Amino acid sequence: MKNIKLLHSPIDYTRNKYLKIISYAFLIILYLPILNLVIFSFNDSKRNIVWRGFTSKYYEKVFDNQILFDAFSNSLTIASLSTIISTILGLSTAICLWKFNFYLKKYYDLALLFPIIIPEICMGVSMLAFFNFINWPSFEIWPLSLSTIIIAHVSFIFPIIAIIIRSRLSILNNEILEAGIDLGASNFQVIKLIVLPFLKPAIIASFLLAFTLSLDDFVVTFFTSGPNSVTLPVKIYSMVRFGITPEINAVSTILILIIIISTYFVIKFLTKNNRALTK
Amino acid sequence: MANAWGLKNKLFILLLIPGLAWLLCFFIFPIIIVFSMSFGQKVDIIGIDYNWSLHNYFRAFNGVYFFTLFKSIIISSITTFICLIVAIPVALYISFSSTRIKSILLISIMLPLWTNLLIRTYSLIAILRTKGHINSSLEYLWEASNRALNFLNLANYNIFNNNFIPLDLMYNNFAIILGLFYIYVPFMIIPIYLVLERFDRNLLEASYDLGANHFQTFFKVIMPIIIPGIISGIILVFIPCLGSFIIPDLLGGADSQMIGNIIERQFKSANDWPFGSALSFILIYMTIIVISVRYIYSKLYSKFYIRGMYEKY
Amino acid sequence: MNNKYQITRRNFLTGTSAVAFGITLNPFKINANSLNDLNFYNWDDYIGENTLSNFADQTGITTKMDFFADNDELFSKLREGNPGYDIIVPSDIYVEKMIKANMLDRIDHEKISNMNNIDKNFLNPVFDPNRGYSIPYMWGTVGIGYNMSRVEERPNSWSYLYQSGKYSTNISLLSEATTVIAIGLKYLGHSLNSMNIRDYKEVEELLIEQKKHIKVFAEDNGQDLLASGDVVLAQEFNGDIAQLMLEDKDISYVVPKEGSIIWEDCLCIPKNAPHKENAHRFINYLLGAETGADLADYIQYATPNKAAKDLMGKDYTNNPAIFPTNKIVKVCENQIYLGEEIGQVIQDTWTRILAS
Repeated sequence: MKNIKLLHSPIDYTRNKYLKIISYAFLIILYLPILNLVIFSFNDSKRNIVWRGFTSKYYEKVFDNQILFDAFSNSLTIASLSTIISTILGLSTAICLWKFNFYLKKYYDLALLFPIIIPEICMGVSMLAFFNFINWPSFEIWPLSLSTIIIAHVSFIFPIIAIIIRSRLSILNNEILEAGIDLGASNFQVIKLIVLPFLKPAIIASFLLAFTLSLDDFVVTFFTSGPNSVTLPVKIYSMVRFGITPEINAVSTILILIIIISTYFVIKFLTKNNRALTK
Repeated sequence: MANAWGLKNKLFILLLIPGLAWLLCFFIFPIIIVFSMSFGQKVDIIGIDYNWSLHNYFRAFNGVYFFTLFKSIIISSITTFICLIVAIPVALYISFSSTRIKSILLISIMLPLWTNLLIRTYSLIAILRTKGHINSSLEYLWEASNRALNFLNLANYNIFNNNFIPLDLMYNNFAIILGLFYIYVPFMIIPIYLVLERFDRNLLEASYDLGANHFQTFFKVIMPIIIPGIISGIILVFIPCLGSFIIPDLLGGADSQMIGNIIERQFKSANDWPFGSALSFILIYMTIIVISVRYIYSKLYSKFYIRGMYEKY
Repeated sequence: MNNKYQITRRNFLTGTSAVAFGITLNPFKINANSLNDLNFYNWDDYIGENTLSNFADQTGITTKMDFFADNDELFSKLREGNPGYDIIVPSDIYVEKMIKANMLDRIDHEKISNMNNIDKNFLNPVFDPNRGYSIPYMWGTVGIGYNMSRVEERPNSWSYLYQSGKYSTNISLLSEATTVIAIGLKYLGHSLNSMNIRDYKEVEELLIEQKKHIKVFAEDNGQDLLASGDVVLAQEFNGDIAQLMLEDKDISYVVPKEGSIIWEDCLCIPKNAPHKENAHRFINYLLGAETGADLADYIQYATPNKAAKDLMGKDYTNNPAIFPTNKIVKVCENQIYLGEEIGQVIQDTWTRILAS
């Protein structure tokens, strides 16, 4: 008789009011500071403390600021390149560790945890010492001048991606693979036709995560950057010496807007493609 | 793994080499430099004498460092635990949503990460400080209720104090935990979500059909399956918390020092790289020990478990 | 079944579009004639708005700026070798430290014709006798910024911050060990540059006792704490408070009577600088009277450039938050590099203070 009260199936967790409340309350808390940031980018004061009226002058200032612009484009380039490299490396490493047994595998597994375990600043210093040790040439030509930063970013991002993808691979049903092999698929085909589609959400998630980690990294970037390779975090950290100004808020707001718009288009593109497929 | 693919496989080489080579050249090698530094000793201002002594490690066995490390572990554990408690329901909710809502929710969780850590922390300060948004909203409510009481002629009962006393939300350990939670919780949600997403819904249905309630279903069915995700999440949250220094610096009070701050100072103002490396490597050794203990434990456990099963039948 | 191609294609698309975006934003910076470059490693917002473009107009040299946030960062970045900077801006102690670590190049005074614009008091500092390696850029003090309406009297002594519960949990100190401890020494009547380990022990006890009254050791954001009302008294560098005073009339600044630190940021040329010649020209340019005045006007810090100061108005030269009175200057000291041993004593003291 009890079941009559349930208007929906118990596994329909989206209708569970507790889950709903927790999730939306969480999102609101997550966004309060961001909202504050956006609002105060319009504040007519040099600091983000008291509201002194509306202005858009900080946006004009941002668009006039060549250094900020360079930093912004450097950051985007570094993030894109290191994300692509890390995703490829992380994906291949994850599949390799998941499917093959080899000598010293346990230790390789452990070594992959290192970039997460090691304190950021120690990693930064090791990279600084390393590039000096091997005498890495300092390129004047852009984007080669960013090479040290990109290399360092990939080093600490791709193991994280490998771990995330592996945790998803661990729940892949082996029988499907066996069926594939029984039906005469080669290993390459198994990966292409079964494993990669299965990994799609993990790949997208880790792609986003990698981009994020790279875009927001300050410590490692600071130690590996040479002249003419200011990135946004480095610029922001040095700006903070005079207190956070609405100009920094304005940059962040613009960045958020760009990301929202581009994700909107990506999602639209994805859903359109899916629809085409189902037809 | 019974059906692991053979090693004399082009595919194996192709998958193994890029990652391994990168890790060796651009990670292990730089780390070896710092590792050998941890056995060295600082001479003059920038010189390092690689004399392979344990001097730095002995220096670290000092009450101050021990105490700070202990405190950092406690703070990081609390943070990780709170992250876990929040992340599981959120991840559940996301993974059961429709495709469209799911992608929107996922992106909303990632989006704050795209804003600079420092800026987010400063925004958090704006919300938490003495005259921050939380306190001013509370003050407003306080005064409003006082006025309401006055209006109802109940003021004499003194239910509320006349003066609003702002909550101390900033510059203490609470603020550090909140800040760390705020920054790192997405790294807990994502791995749990990824495991949940491919999880067989029939199991849930079976569980409910057999009469289990939400709690039983959660602990007996969902929990065992999402363990790998939880473990990745814990690694991705706990360890960065332990090494963090920006958040304790900005949100913590006068006794906010964490081990990350001490390590950072060795590399910067103290200019003692060998000691900084030694402290970093102590953290690394500890983590490795914990991971291997867990590994041995799970091995033993599965051994006994399997043996028990055999004896039973 | 077409699924297999999609992941890679999509990732590829997002990736390439992001790179393309980055590239379009960044007009290719291939500069065949790198002789005309100058790599300037500076604090943020520490140069006039048009200084660099005017320099480019005059000499054809393009200056590229890169930023650091504190001296320790600058030092750690350069200690393993110069990654290619031509001019850096370290402060006093670090100038001496870098000279001793052989990280700086001599400055050729012959090439700096504007040398005589510098105030005579700045020509022979303790940390770099005769200015062999450094040229003064800006200077200032460390003092107390306070909220006038919330204090009873002018906080004219370090005791309010170092030995008093009067403004309990409403005070902030800086979080830089060398600064906080040096001022503690000064307050106790020792020299800022004491070499006596017992003096440091005294400061340690003093601060551990005082810690319960201190709200926070602030990361150079004491001005924000003051503005938001989180603290009533904040130990800060003068420039930060001076900027806040322009906006908030309730804030004031005082250098306590016990004396304080006089800091000085200097222009230096690191070893192996790729464009040494341009660096000298740039230094000479910055020392010019007009340029110096522009700089002082924009940065609002005290300039050691006498010719420039003469061009400035009264609200700059008479601002107490920029120029301390002569009486105060007499009790203040420059910090010098005390050697690595004392350095370690300071760091250990600091770690213990924070952990207690």
